[in-house]
Amino acid sequence: MIDRKTWLVARREFVENVRTKTFWIGIFILPVIYGIAIGANVLMSRAKEVRSYAVLDRSEGQWLSKAIEARGDQGDVMSAVDTIEAFKGIEKEVETRTHSEMLAALRSSRSAALEAAANDTQRGFFERYFEIAEAALQKRVDAGEGDQKVAMMAFAQEVGLQMVPVYQEMTPQERSLLKGGLDRSKYRFVPLSEIGTAVDDPEAEKKLNDWITDGKLFAWFEIPAQPVESDENARYISNNLTDGELRSWYSGNATDVVRRRRIEEVALTELEAKWISDPFSFDKSMVTKTGETEDVGADKTAAQFAPVAFVYLLWIAVFTAAQMLLTNTVEEKSNRLIEVLLSSVSPMQLMSGKVLGIAATGLTLVGSWVVTAIVGTWFIPEGSKLAEFQLGQIIADPLYFGSFIAYFLAGYLIYGAVLVALGSVCNSLKEAQNLMQPVFILLIVPLIAMIPVVQEPNGMVARILTYIPLFTPFLMMNRAGGPPPAWEYIATTILIVVTLWFAFRMAAKVFRVGILMTGKPPKIGEILRWLRAPVGAVPDTGRSEPSS
Amino acid sequence: MQHALVLDRVSKRFGDHTAVDDLSLEIPTGSIYGFIGPNGAGKTTTIRMIMSIFFPDQGTIRVLDSDDPESVKDRLGYLPEEKGLYKSMKVHELVSYFGQLKGLAKGQADDRARELLVRYGLGDWLNKKCQTLSKGMGQKVQLLGTLLHDPELVILDEPFSGLDPVNMELMRDTILDMKRDGRTVIFSTHVMTQAEEICDYVMMIHRSRKVLDGTMEQVRAQRGQGIRVAYEGDGRAAFDGLKTQGLVTRVNDAGKQAELTPGEGTDPQQILASLVASGLRIRHFDLREASLHEIFVRTVKESGQPIAEEELSATDVARKIGGGAR
Repeated sequence: MIDRKTWLVARREFVENVRTKTFWIGIFILPVIYGIAIGANVLMSRAKEVRSYAVLDRSEGQWLSKAIEARGDQGDVMSAVDTIEAFKGIEKEVETRTHSEMLAALRSSRSAALEAAANDTQRGFFERYFEIAEAALQKRVDAGEGDQKVAMMAFAQEVGLQMVPVYQEMTPQERSLLKGGLDRSKYRFVPLSEIGTAVDDPEAEKKLNDWITDGKLFAWFEIPAQPVESDENARYISNNLTDGELRSWYSGNATDVVRRRRIEEVALTELEAKWISDPFSFDKSMVTKTGETEDVGADKTAAQFAPVAFVYLLWIAVFTAAQMLLTNTVEEKSNRLIEVLLSSVSPMQLMSGKVLGIAATGLTLVGSWVVTAIVGTWFIPEGSKLAEFQLGQIIADPLYFGSFIAYFLAGYLIYGAVLVALGSVCNSLKEAQNLMQPVFILLIVPLIAMIPVVQEPNGMVARILTYIPLFTPFLMMNRAGGPPPAWEYIATTILIVVTLWFAFRMAAKVFRVGILMTGKPPKIGEILRWLRAPVGAVPDTGRSEPSS
Repeated sequence: MQHALVLDRVSKRFGDHTAVDDLSLEIPTGSIYGFIGPNGAGKTTTIRMIMSIFFPDQGTIRVLDSDDPESVKDRLGYLPEEKGLYKSMKVHELVSYFGQLKGLAKGQADDRARELLVRYGLGDWLNKKCQTLSKGMGQKVQLLGTLLHDPELVILDEPFSGLDPVNMELMRDTILDMKRDGRTVIFSTHVMTQAEEICDYVMMIHRSRKVLDGTMEQVRAQRGQGIRVAYEGDGRAAFDGLKTQGLVTRVNDAGKQAELTPGEGTDPQQILASLVASGLRIRHFDLREASLHEIFVRTVKESGQPIAEEELSATDVARKIGGGAR
């Protein structure tokens, strides 16, 4: 199908373009972006700013702030424990198990849990946890309570409390390795004595405020004398009120402690209290291909938004390649090369050679991006935010990288057909850019639609835009998170093939006439008139008659 | 193969404009054939049809004994008037590429490109980018690209335009070399003196129509004599006098020299006498065959299609030679 001369033209285009700076910038831009993203992530998790806070606690003997601190550590421990998948399974059927059953379950799942640990710090932590939990259970079995049911709340709390000292010994960095960054790695409690004040110091408020002004303290809390009664006069003082993380973490723990006090006062059992205070919430789930529901984690959410990144890269790639095609076509005209070339090759051979050569260039570029992206995921540090998204899985998913390459080719060919035709009638890049403006305006549409479409991949707007051929490749990539039903893939593929067939027939007609034209570029209306002329005929170009 | 190229009643129109009208030609193999005529006469259109860049609306073109011009493309060499280079390509790569497009294998094209470039004094530039070449060197490279594949028929569109005297001579020698190698060369020009120097045959085209063709000798013999006068001072009054006396029918005054076309049956002696009598200082007076330039102008006038003077004026020639190529 590709004859020798077409291939020669294509090879020259490829070789020449691969030698350009633009190409190498294109090749290296992704690794650089990747490097910056990973680097920034590492830096951020390493140098995450620790927020210091102090508490002016007016409760009796500062019991509340002490309880909150303990509760904070325990909360961290519990959420670290929660990452032990095997343990979650044991916990689920907790109310029906006896102590001996629970002990057996723990022992059998121990090695699986340790193996599943993401890093050594986590593994060590889990190991301690299992030791303590087993010891606690063993003690009950030894006391003859082997066939009694486990009171899970009390048991978890007991084990949790024993873990707190273990946790407190860890450095903030080790803590952050336990699970995406636990709260203690972010917040530091500053005792009032360190600030040189005390609860009964009348100057306390002023001294605390000075520390905030000096930037030594991120915030301080004031706890009223009777916190169990009400939260009246409970205050949070900071100069940064936009970042509410510390405030909500602290008040969450305070709520927990105060609630427990209240429960004790009205003499509810713990189970009753838990039941009353259980929030009613809906789990996020999505329907899998097989029609079942599936829990949604960070990875899934990332998968849903991944198309945005792909569309953006796709857009850059299509734009770059189509622009290359335009530039090279105009170069041949403005350099007066075209006539020499046309004495050796036919306009069709020249055009298809150019289109193919630059397609190869573009595919090399896009291919390098896919490889970089996959290789790049190997360098994402464990336990970082990026790792949670499981980018490796997303990129290696044929639905994504397959679509990416296929839709790059489709998008490039559609825009390439338009640009090669328009480029052929222009004598300079400047003229070409003027003529190209409407095309570039059209190219913005898929960018604008990117976010709305990814939020509703199978919505009405997404569907309508999908069937406008100029947008089809971008939209189908954009909707990959959906993903669209198989019939849409078939329909759009047919649409793209048919569009390309027509686009290249028309491009060839314009190219044949336009490529030898000199003088002012024709108006769009004039170009459209050429399209109606039969193939092979040179229509009246009005002013394109050759000189001399 | 007696004729390298045969055109039979070929016409080409662009809308209302007829670029080439009913043109028939036979170009003998191994000859140097000149297409002459003013700008816009239809020379380039004719050449583009021979190269099958355009297709004629009427008539047939037989190139190298083939009715299918596409199939003989690889045996033709073409140097268009407007020519360029890929600026960022290396010189030898570019020449080799042009050869490959004409059907040479890569290795063969590479070897020949190097060989030719070295022979034409561009050995130091083999691996330089084309954008570093001077204009003259660029033109040499373009010509080599045209010749790399050993074409049987070479078509050069305005090959002398924009060349300095040294390169003009080189181009002339190259054309003569090609003839010696047995190639057929067609070139177009609107500068008659160049055609006069090297052509075996000429064809004149004016306003899309062929007005004259044949061997140089035939053309000259048909078209009678001319008198060349070199003089000092202002000759206008003297020449006007000749015209009013009916001694000459046409004067082509270039300031220091003039070509006079004697009237029917006029004795050149009378003309000389009249000039001397008018007081003009004559440095040179020469009776010979009319120049191609004069022949062209006369032919055009006889054909009844007026020609604007500026189309053939000396300044136009000067502009073309003096590097005014577009």
